[in-house]
Amino acid sequence: MPEEAAEHSESLIHVAIKGEALFHLGPIAVTNSMVGTLIATVVLASLAFWASRNSSVVPGRFQGILEFPLEFLGGVIRGQHPTRWRAILPAVITIFLLVLVANYVGLLPGVGTIGVHVVEEGHEATVPIIRPASADLNFTLALALVAFVLFVSWGIRANGLRGYLKETFVANPPYMTPLMTPIHIVSELSRIISLSMRLFGNIFAGEILLAVMLALTFAVVPAIFLGLEMIFGAVQALVFALLTLTYITLATAGHGGGHDEAHEPARHDADDAALRAGAH
Amino acid sequence: MSTRQSKEPDERPASTQRPANWGLVLDLGMRLGLSVVIGVVAGVLLDKWLGTSPLFTLLGVAVGIGAAMYSIWDVARNEMR
Repeated sequence: MPEEAAEHSESLIHVAIKGEALFHLGPIAVTNSMVGTLIATVVLASLAFWASRNSSVVPGRFQGILEFPLEFLGGVIRGQHPTRWRAILPAVITIFLLVLVANYVGLLPGVGTIGVHVVEEGHEATVPIIRPASADLNFTLALALVAFVLFVSWGIRANGLRGYLKETFVANPPYMTPLMTPIHIVSELSRIISLSMRLFGNIFAGEILLAVMLALTFAVVPAIFLGLEMIFGAVQALVFALLTLTYITLATAGHGGGHDEAHEPARHDADDAALRAGAH
Repeated sequence: MSTRQSKEPDERPASTQRPANWGLVLDLGMRLGLSVVIGVVAGVLLDKWLGTSPLFTLLGVAVGIGAAMYSIWDVARNEMR
């Protein structure tokens, strides 16, 4: 009996570190994590379409829920970038919402459990049709690279190309540059890897935990872990977005911060009014 | 002209600063380890390619540790500004 139970549990848990190909479109393999990304994108696009058609000055309950992340992140970004927040907000909030919805796709019924039967190395396995996007390193690495391009471009925008390169690669005193340049490169690389591995590790581990709990326990127990995964999904999305914001802040800190405050008071006023209008 | 206009960035409520700091603290611990790993992996690969073992591995360890310390310095410098 115990062997049977173990065999049954084993057949329910299918662990694959990378996204698995469902079919091929020419040379491109369409993986189950791509389906997860597509679902997240469709959900976000539908919500955006609905919100743009049905928004009112006095928000209802649903509109209030949709506006909450905008208000919260808007406040945080405005605190760090009093004049540039309107330009930074769309990028940061897009990352937050995409990661949030991608994480929550993994909690939907059928995701990771409904699949197609394949035979791998003589063993029968079920390849899930949908895999949450964040549980695939390709997605998180791509997102980290987008974040990297964002904060480097903001650094160049704030300090100029020459100023940014000088700030990043030329040490003070200059004779330390040969020593500091490799250190800078490793430090920059660690940001990309840290961003991508944290999100991937947390969501992938959560997926495995849920699969194990579903296989080994019954009824209520997996629900507890589903609740925990909802919290972790939101926290990881927030951490990813806030780290992108922090890196933008670090990249623009060179000369840009003070310049903003002194030379753009009119724009500051306009931003104030816009934030208040958005908040009400 | 609103009352908010006169508010200096340093006077902003602590609640708006805190979330960004959580992320920074969570990130820093991971980057400390990753910097050393990246340095070591790059050193080992260079040694394999050039046949100079253990020269670049040791250099990689030193650069990795340096990058880890630099990450802390970078964050601290920004916070002290």
